[in-house]
Amino acid sequence: MRPITTSVLRQYVCPSCRSARTVSRRRFSSKSAAPTEIYDVVCVGGGPAGLALLAALRASPATSKLKVALVESQDLDKARSFRLDSQHFSNRVSSLTPSSVSFLRKIGAWEHLDVSRTQPYQGMEVWDGETGSKISFDWSSETSPFEDLPTVATMTENANLVHGLLSRIAASGNENLSIFSKTTVSSIENGSASETDGPDLSAWPVLSIAPAGNAPQSTALPSRMAARLLIGADGINSPVRRYADIGTDGWDYQRHGVVATLSLADQIPPAFPTGMRTAYQRFLPALGGPIALLPLPNNHATLVWSTTVENATYLKSLSPEAFIAMVNAAFRLSMPDLQYLMRMERPSTSVTDLNEDPHENELTWRLQHTPPVPQLPPMVTGIQENSLASFPLRFRHASTYISPRVALVGDAAHVIHPLAGQGLNLGLGDVASLSSTIEYAVNHGMDIGDILTLERYTADRWATNAKIGGTCDVLHKLYNVPGQGPVAWGRSLGFEIIDRLPFVKGFLMRNADS
Amino acid sequence: MAPPRPSFRTVSLLLRPIPRRCHSTSATSSVSASEVSHFSSLASSWWDPMGPSRVLHLMNPMRHDFIASCLFDAPPESTLRPGGNPNPLHYLDIGCGGGIFAESLARTIPLPGSKAETAAETVTRAASITAIDPTSTLIQIARDHARKDPKVSAHLDSGRFRYVNCTLEDVIAQTPTSTSTALEGAGGEMVKRKDGFDIITLFEVIEHIDTNAHISPLSFLTDCLRLLKPGGWLLGSTIARTWPSFLINQVIAEAPWPIGVVPKGTHEWRKFVNPDELERWASEGLMRSSDLERGSVMRSGSEALNGMRWKCEGVVYFPGLGWKFLPGSESWGNYFWAIRKGV
Repeated sequence: MRPITTSVLRQYVCPSCRSARTVSRRRFSSKSAAPTEIYDVVCVGGGPAGLALLAALRASPATSKLKVALVESQDLDKARSFRLDSQHFSNRVSSLTPSSVSFLRKIGAWEHLDVSRTQPYQGMEVWDGETGSKISFDWSSETSPFEDLPTVATMTENANLVHGLLSRIAASGNENLSIFSKTTVSSIENGSASETDGPDLSAWPVLSIAPAGNAPQSTALPSRMAARLLIGADGINSPVRRYADIGTDGWDYQRHGVVATLSLADQIPPAFPTGMRTAYQRFLPALGGPIALLPLPNNHATLVWSTTVENATYLKSLSPEAFIAMVNAAFRLSMPDLQYLMRMERPSTSVTDLNEDPHENELTWRLQHTPPVPQLPPMVTGIQENSLASFPLRFRHASTYISPRVALVGDAAHVIHPLAGQGLNLGLGDVASLSSTIEYAVNHGMDIGDILTLERYTADRWATNAKIGGTCDVLHKLYNVPGQGPVAWGRSLGFEIIDRLPFVKGFLMRNADS
Repeated sequence: MAPPRPSFRTVSLLLRPIPRRCHSTSATSSVSASEVSHFSSLASSWWDPMGPSRVLHLMNPMRHDFIASCLFDAPPESTLRPGGNPNPLHYLDIGCGGGIFAESLARTIPLPGSKAETAAETVTRAASITAIDPTSTLIQIARDHARKDPKVSAHLDSGRFRYVNCTLEDVIAQTPTSTSTALEGAGGEMVKRKDGFDIITLFEVIEHIDTNAHISPLSFLTDCLRLLKPGGWLLGSTIARTWPSFLINQVIAEAPWPIGVVPKGTHEWRKFVNPDELERWASEGLMRSSDLERGSVMRSGSEALNGMRWKCEGVVYFPGLGWKFLPGSESWGNYFWAIRKGV
């Protein structure tokens, strides 16, 4: 029995491919060489970057005629049927800058997202847990009181984004489009010059694909796919990058990002402006990185806490009550208090009295002796079940994004520290640049896989990404120097200056959205 | 067993009419022997994106933009027919070299049978392109390169895209019969179309024409205009013969690496053409071509210039940024020009 019926697949496989499939099967049985199916664009990886690229190509009149294919090892049907109620949120959430959102609008994908699950925020409070110096980012100093406050960023679940992109692609019809889900790339090699009565593909990448795991859908796959342009949107360990022999530079931060979906205490709504939501980030030099609380709809928030591997393990082992106490403490208590809490004996579950969590008790007692600061986020009151997770933080940057007939986008090209929430935005920036490069090439008769075409893309993106990734790296290093030494003094001075000079702040905010 | 194909090919070569002296350098040809040998020596690196032809590759998209602006200013009548083929234009590329422009234009031609053909119009509205060059090595390079792209290769097979190794004079000497069209047969050598071409391109060609007792840029342009349909465009790019252009093209551009961007000996400054000279030749050429086509001994007057349009736009290469259109820079060096034959 086949779990995916042909009728389900038909929607995503173009008519010519369907007929080619039957032909290839026949040839296979007669033991002649498997024919190579020729595509203009083959994208390996169906994450946000790969799907956004496909959606962008389908949206432009010039590039919608290209024959495109996407290969993804995960089951995209799960992403297509993404559905959660309005009180539950996925723990993989990204903050999309206004330029990312306007790109998604331009390619017609934003209207396919469930906008009620996204949360724009207009203000941002960032402060140093060691010295207390702070910056408040909002546009209120630059806008009149009668207009809406501009958005700093929009919190969007990755699953919501992927779902929206898939619907956008489906809405573009299935002509010249093939999506191979639950399929892995088993090999990428150069084609042969002597394809029987075929074109010379010796400089073209040719992929062999196979069903992932034991998903029984092999008959639906073309045996070999030649790509005029092969896109690597296949993540940090990109097989496409390995095939193209592009080196990467980078290191592991020895830090983990702890994520969770939290619910917040009811807030007294600010008198003005109404409906304003704020993101909070506090740097904790003694614990290895910042903690950030980013707003989600219905008084929820997503947590990203970058900390050492040991702290992350400790946090994940706590009871929900103790974890909530730790999050509230991390925004409020002093560094020595936090270090003490992080080393507290974990109570064994058998003796725990739920009403007397030691972390909660410590927090309540210590808060009475901690002077409050004005920019505090509301108290965290709950954590969504199974939403606590962590992932390693790394820095990677490919030496170039292109090679003949190959281009890298997203995490295959760069992985950065999440402290500025820029990772996915850089990926979407890559996609916007690469798709307009391809559009230009099609309109000017250029070969879209040619290095003369692709060099426009790498020239446009490499330096930008290096600048933002490098800034995040420097911030990470600056905010990992504990104590009140000269580094702490210097970074606080920087914060205070930026906070007091509105034009510098405005410049930084505009730049953050470039 | 080896297929009998090679022997067939030998036979067919023998049976073919005696090839014209394609890269002849006789006094009646517009092709100079030294130019042919210079470009033959560049042949192996013609398609290397980082090679000596890099600046030429970078200029290529500008050619498409310039053609699009000409079509916008005065669209040929066949593109305006409602319900007709949205991409009806037949191109002739003279002096195609290794095929940088010709191949890129061929790539914009929709594949037959694809829905795109009826649905969308392309930027250059091309239906077919014939590309000629007197240097046989370059034609070979161009054909070999085109074979590496399945789409372009399919156009070569269908005859929508052709490379012919011959000179402009060879084409003028042809007499197409009423039944034959340029598209007949993939390997046919007939270039001339009975009703002429919609667009004829002369990219970086005029400045390589020798002037002697029989040949001049004027006679060359006259021949080009004879092949052009009424309402069609003859266009190209060249370099002005001015002091700034001497400095840019001879001193800086041909300087040794890393300053220079084109190989030494590519250009000869005294052969460069100024926009006003070109405009004068082009209008003179229009009158002469109309005389020649009518076969009349009576000189036609300015009525041949009715409906004529002249267009000229300067381009400048900025290292690191690439080529940019810069209005008013025509006399600094590189510029695009176009002349439209009146209907």
